[in-house]
Amino acid sequence: MSEIKEVIEAVIAGEVEKVAELTQELVDAGEKPQEIISQGLVGGMDVVGKRFKANEMFVPEVLIAAKAMHSGMDIVKPLLTDGESSSAGTIVIGTVEGDLHDIGKNLVAMMLEGAGFEVIDIGIDIPAAEFVEAVKENQPDIVGISALLTTTMPAMEETVQALEEAGVREQVKIMVGGAPVSKDFADEIGADGYAPDGSTATDLAREFIA
Amino acid sequence: MKETYQGGSLKFFNQGQVERIHEKTLAVLKEVGVKVENKKALDLFAERGAEVDFQEKIVRLPNTMVEEAIDTAPSTVILYGREADQHIELGGTNVYMGTGGTAVNILDLETGEKRKTTSKDVSQIAKLVQNLDNVDFFVIPVFPDDAGKEKADQIRFFNSLENTTKHIMGGVYTQEGQKKVIDAAVKIAGSEVELRERPFISFIANIMSPLTMERDYTDYFRYAVERGVPVVGGTAPIAGATSPITLPGTIVQTNAEALFMVTFSQLINPGAKVLYGVVPTTMDMRSSDFRFASIEMGMMNAACAELAQYYEIPIYNTAGVSDTKAIDIQTGYEKMSNLLMSALTGTNYIHHAAGLLDSGMTVAYEQYVIDNQMIGMAKRVLRGMEFSEERLAYEDIKEVGPGGNFLTANTTMQYMRSEFFDDQLYEASDWDDWVEAGALDARDKAKEIAREILNKDSEELIDSSLLD
Repeated sequence: MSEIKEVIEAVIAGEVEKVAELTQELVDAGEKPQEIISQGLVGGMDVVGKRFKANEMFVPEVLIAAKAMHSGMDIVKPLLTDGESSSAGTIVIGTVEGDLHDIGKNLVAMMLEGAGFEVIDIGIDIPAAEFVEAVKENQPDIVGISALLTTTMPAMEETVQALEEAGVREQVKIMVGGAPVSKDFADEIGADGYAPDGSTATDLAREFIA
Repeated sequence: MKETYQGGSLKFFNQGQVERIHEKTLAVLKEVGVKVENKKALDLFAERGAEVDFQEKIVRLPNTMVEEAIDTAPSTVILYGREADQHIELGGTNVYMGTGGTAVNILDLETGEKRKTTSKDVSQIAKLVQNLDNVDFFVIPVFPDDAGKEKADQIRFFNSLENTTKHIMGGVYTQEGQKKVIDAAVKIAGSEVELRERPFISFIANIMSPLTMERDYTDYFRYAVERGVPVVGGTAPIAGATSPITLPGTIVQTNAEALFMVTFSQLINPGAKVLYGVVPTTMDMRSSDFRFASIEMGMMNAACAELAQYYEIPIYNTAGVSDTKAIDIQTGYEKMSNLLMSALTGTNYIHHAAGLLDSGMTVAYEQYVIDNQMIGMAKRVLRGMEFSEERLAYEDIKEVGPGGNFLTANTTMQYMRSEFFDDQLYEASDWDDWVEAGALDARDKAKEIAREILNKDSEELIDSSLLD
């Protein structure tokens, strides 16, 4: 029988198929799904996160590890009972209207997924009203708003206001990011936090949920 | 062997221009001649058929003598380290970069104040360079003020041998000191023959511009050749002061002086391991300041590699110094522009490439760390595009398609650790993060790295009983 330890190692190594196999073996052997997730799959990603911060692992390796983790998640998630959760929290993320920039937001989304969050990526060029709709529909814990252009920064503030007007602002924490964005700007527009990169965004999301 | 990088993609001269420089150089050596303040050397030149005016101490070389020397001088000289992966093979367009000297001041690592260099600095800089991977060789960079001229040679070489296994080159201050250094090297090597075969030390004994060989340096040069230790008779004319102000004119004179020393070595011992040593510099014509890092100096030093390649003799030149007193923007642009040019022309032995400020008079520990980075970047340029079908990455472009990303593409996974230079000093993080981390600049970071290395326990790299 495979052991949780092997799952951790396979996640770190980014072995997608092996993680799925090992997870299946554990399930077949009667291991609790919740254990497999928290100890094995997410446990592996915790190590990955630490190594990434220590500059030992590179971004692509983190993303592949996350992919490996998800291959295991896909197997155990359907087995969870109603009270149990596979996710560290739910995050709606998107780039504001008028901005077609994708890569920064995608990196943040992938890093958050890697940390066990359920990420609903609503895409690029998203009007404020669509952010509101996505919040109503998905009931996330956190909303992530991205902008790269200085010309689209005002749209971030509009998005925050739209969430307020719709009466859903207090249900969520709002984090913002993008090259021209700063902590001060985040405070000004009434966001709850700012993260310059995916790794900081992950830490911030954990703080919000805790 | 140390990892070798190839230059040669940058050219300043066409073939016809190289030949014209050669013709003028032969004319200088035949018609103008070189003053040699050394009786023994004058006798040797006369005995071998040079035209010697003993009254004026002028030696004029027949063209054939110069051309024969170019023939007998080795096309490749291997300078050995004391570890197998530290040997450097000088010749062709192989490029290696390392330290140079001789500075007399240092910016103290803790106080930042300028002070005189000491015996301890020789040891510490050697230890630092031993741990800076991009630096290929160690030219003893400072004069130990506490040692005095009489003890300088032993202290400079012995402290270096104790702290680095990279190839060590240096000038000497006394004949007696030079003898002690070679005798110790023979003991370390095991025998005189083994030292000749695998020389891990070498010497610099310069010729003065314009066209003058000083008495003592002539002896040091000769003694090195006689003991079979590689030597370079470098020349460092100052364009506008001790050589013509025109760049081609200074190059003709530089070439004449360098070839004169090559010829001298081959008269002493045909096949002697010698480098073609050129360090053309400039003067600021407004102030008379000596410039060791002007852009023209960079051009001339780099261009001389083309002459060395024409002669098929390994070249020693200078690039990567700064004239600045502070470690500042001038430091960066002078060092990088000069270094890259010399690397790109394929200069074999680029010395003075680490640590030096203040026109070569002052060093700083953190500057060695910064320059290690610059040398690494220059080597990255020499690595080039590494063109291949796989690196054209068509399959990945096709697979990712419009709007996707390459973060986990096959080529990304394969090359992410090697395609880009691993820069330790750059700053591109978020502004707030940077402030939070102490708002360090490259110099601050370099100081930290230098301290870390210097605080490590020193390994015993040599049996110190061999050094006495």
